Amino acid sequence: MSPSNIDLPQGTLDLLILRTLSLGPQHGWAISERVQQISSDVLRIQQGSLYPALHRLERRGWIKARWGTSENNRRARYYELTRAGRKQLEVETDAWRKLAAAVAQILESA
Amino acid sequence: MFTDLLYRLRSLVRRRVVESELNDELRFHFDSEIDKYICQGIPREEALRRARLAFGGHEQIKEDCREAHGTSFVETSLQDLRYALRQLRSNPGFATVIILTLALSIGANSAIFSVISSVLLKSLPYPHSGRIVRIFLTSSIYPRFPLNPFDFRDFRARSESFDSFAIYTRGDMQLSGTSTEPVRLYGFQITSGFFRVLGLRPQLGREFDRSAELPGNGRQVILSDRLWRSRFAANPHIIGTKITLNAQPFTVVGVMPPGTEHPGNDYHSLAYGDDVDLWSPFTFQGNPNQRGSHYTEGIARLKDGVTPGQAQSELNAIMAGLGREYTNDANWQLLVVPLYREIVGASQRMLFVLLGAVGMVLLIACANAANLLLARATTRQRELAVRLALGASRSRLVRQLLIESLLIAFIGGALGLAMATAGVKALVTLLPADFPRAHEIHVSAPVFAFTFLVSAATGILFGLIPAIQASRTDPRRGLHEGGRTATGSGRLSRLRNALVISEVSLACVLLIGAGLMLRSLLNLVHLDPGFREEHLLTATVALPNPEYNSIEQAEHFYETLSANLAAVPGVEFAGTGSDLPWTGYDENTSLNIEGKQPAPGDEFHARYHVASPDYFRALGIPLLHGRFFTAADKSSAPLVLIVNRAMAEKYWGTDDVIGRRVTWDDHPKEKDWFRIVGVVGDVKDKPSSPGAEPAFWWSSLQQPFAFLAESLVIRSTTGQQTLADAVREQVHRLDPALAVADVQWMDEIVYGSVATPRFAFILVGLFAGLAIILAAIGTYGVISYSVSRRTSEFGLRVALGAQRLDVIRLVLSQAARLILAGTAIGLVLALALAQVLKNLIYNVSPADPLTFVSVGLMVVVVAVLACYIPALKATRANPMIALRAE
Repeated sequence: MSPSNIDLPQGTLDLLILRTLSLGPQHGWAISERVQQISSDVLRIQQGSLYPALHRLERRGWIKARWGTSENNRRARYYELTRAGRKQLEVETDAWRKLAAAVAQILESA
Repeated sequence: MFTDLLYRLRSLVRRRVVESELNDELRFHFDSEIDKYICQGIPREEALRRARLAFGGHEQIKEDCREAHGTSFVETSLQDLRYALRQLRSNPGFATVIILTLALSIGANSAIFSVISSVLLKSLPYPHSGRIVRIFLTSSIYPRFPLNPFDFRDFRARSESFDSFAIYTRGDMQLSGTSTEPVRLYGFQITSGFFRVLGLRPQLGREFDRSAELPGNGRQVILSDRLWRSRFAANPHIIGTKITLNAQPFTVVGVMPPGTEHPGNDYHSLAYGDDVDLWSPFTFQGNPNQRGSHYTEGIARLKDGVTPGQAQSELNAIMAGLGREYTNDANWQLLVVPLYREIVGASQRMLFVLLGAVGMVLLIACANAANLLLARATTRQRELAVRLALGASRSRLVRQLLIESLLIAFIGGALGLAMATAGVKALVTLLPADFPRAHEIHVSAPVFAFTFLVSAATGILFGLIPAIQASRTDPRRGLHEGGRTATGSGRLSRLRNALVISEVSLACVLLIGAGLMLRSLLNLVHLDPGFREEHLLTATVALPNPEYNSIEQAEHFYETLSANLAAVPGVEFAGTGSDLPWTGYDENTSLNIEGKQPAPGDEFHARYHVASPDYFRALGIPLLHGRFFTAADKSSAPLVLIVNRAMAEKYWGTDDVIGRRVTWDDHPKEKDWFRIVGVVGDVKDKPSSPGAEPAFWWSSLQQPFAFLAESLVIRSTTGQQTLADAVREQVHRLDPALAVADVQWMDEIVYGSVATPRFAFILVGLFAGLAIILAAIGTYGVISYSVSRRTSEFGLRVALGAQRLDVIRLVLSQAARLILAGTAIGLVLALALAQVLKNLIYNVSPADPLTFVSVGLMVVVVAVLACYIPALKATRANPMIALRAE
């Protein structure tokens, strides 16, 4: 683990997963790789939290899973956003932006 | 929400598939991770190590994913359930005792609840039955009195409170002309709105209309479904045909559907139920200005939103108006009572007492179960301590123990329901014949729900304390204490003692209840009824046919019949009279007494009867003064009267009143006076009434008006069963067109008259028996547990020279403290609760010292006996083994 990565704040994991899946269906491993890549290795999702989160999102009906074939020709479980999930992503993105802006404002003014 | 449920359901139902999918998914991730490292040029061994490191605990992730499925509660509960089943199987003795006692008590509760749910909770089988009311007259002398028909007609015309208002009166009829012997049928005469009041419609034909109430139009009849099927082969074209009733042709205008329940009535009463065979129109005859005769009963359907109280005030206002027009109508008030209360009101208290009694049995069973569980929890402390030490949460332990107790309770509940189903059938056969709605009682859906709830509540009630107690186990101490015997913790033993005390005291309460009821029942059974019921056959014969139109003709028939019956071998006396004791007969009249004036607002009144010369001899009613009637007391002879002792004492203050005179005429001439020639002993009005009301008898040959039917009383020497056939034969020899009804031995009537107190006693007695057994088991359990814990102490004592008796005394004195405390509390509690029984017991004080003392002694003896076995065991404590066990 690189010393530069930080713990994910509560609730952000769902947002990251939803955002990653908004680009297209992915399996679990790819999701964690993609997040790590895009965040330039700063954010790293622990598998221990990734899979329970995926199952929870699936239970809520925001994503759905189906079995597909991976790039290296293996059976993998692909997740994709549902309509409800897309809506949820908008809501959460919006909420996150507001939160980030507010936090930034406070940090700068202080 | 819905997808969520579906998802959880799939995870639960297709658990294996979901598990293997999860496995594959995680495997894929793991492999991809390794591939990545290998691509980066890391050697395979190292890649494997790094992947494992990054992955964390494989099982932990799976567990978290399962958690995310939202099914873990159910799954772990299922685990607990399997575990609980194993626990029960591993300890079958414990399981059997606890499940059986619970099954018995839950079953008893369900059975009593079946009765309550069918009798009290289910609405009556009439649409909007809450709006149906019964209407009576009331005065200071007669709290509930039938209506005069002409008064009714005025009420019907002037009142605004009712959708429909009707009167009805008993009108049994004799059916002949069908293939079999003539039969007496239960019938009622009804006015036009009767079935509209009940909300019922004929399945064929129509209800009577107003024109049927006119004199001359009364020869119409509506049949019950049963009569239509049994006597007329369910003939679909029966409407308009004529049938022979009371030797007259009646036109069938309707057939009621099955389940047409008679709403019950007071005057010539027939209990609520489907016993009525036919209905004929009530016709208004006689002078509408004469309103002294009261023999019809009111029933009405209130308009929506009108209360019985409002209807009563309206009728009272109308009655006040009528009172100014007709002298007979002064001084009467109206009484409007909801039909529901009329039908089930009397049995309500008894049923609630029974429910209270079974409720107590259940509480005792709960205390018992809690006690057994507590004892076992102590021996399981080690197991619980290990689980706690291995990281089980306390809430999980409580849950697991609760699931165990719930499992026990539900097994008990299921068994109990099976017992209740059988028990309810037995219960219904035990019920008094006139018990309302008895045929509607069965185990129904509400009973299932009740049993389920009671089982769940029971399981939580007896499981919660032991479970919380067990979860308090300190892992260190638990492991330690489990390793060697030690005395149980103080708090725990105090709790167990409290449970035993409450078991004993509740059992005490129930036994006292049963004891009071037994005393009351014995009082009723051993009561001198005022007549001799053994070997006494009774029957009813009505003479509806035209050849008996005059009183002379009718009495000639009864006289001949009595003489013929008296000649039958084995018959001592045969007589006839207006009625039999204890069959609900209650005909009253006011009267004038020579030389006396009634107090203002009061009047002389008495119940009237008719008797033939041998009526009293056959019934075994003793003659106190004067003489019985003779064949010479006919209409041409001086008018005579026999009175009972109650009447003599009430109006003359002495029982020797021979020669005193009374009359019914307000301006009597010399010939209108009736001279008292005999005084007979009192016959209690009902088996449980404190005494007799004033009553008198006319000589049957001097009766002022004819009775619908007369009762036969035949005293025989042996009570031979063939006598019933002989009676039918004698009647038919005189007239084959007559029906003989109500053939019954008087001792059966007497037996039936105490059916309600007997029913209550049998049930409360059963419950009390169960209670004392449970309490004995509970006491035995606690004492033998404490003995087993103190084995080493007893061993030491024996080693130091204690005698057997000393050890027994030691154990028993510990037990005695609990038992005496329980008994004392029980007696005090019973003293308070027995007041509830006041109206249910006869001639026994609710604080009857005999019952209290004997029950107290009995409880102490039984409980001490229960402790005797563990005490004996204590004396056998072998000092060597006891010390080695340390």
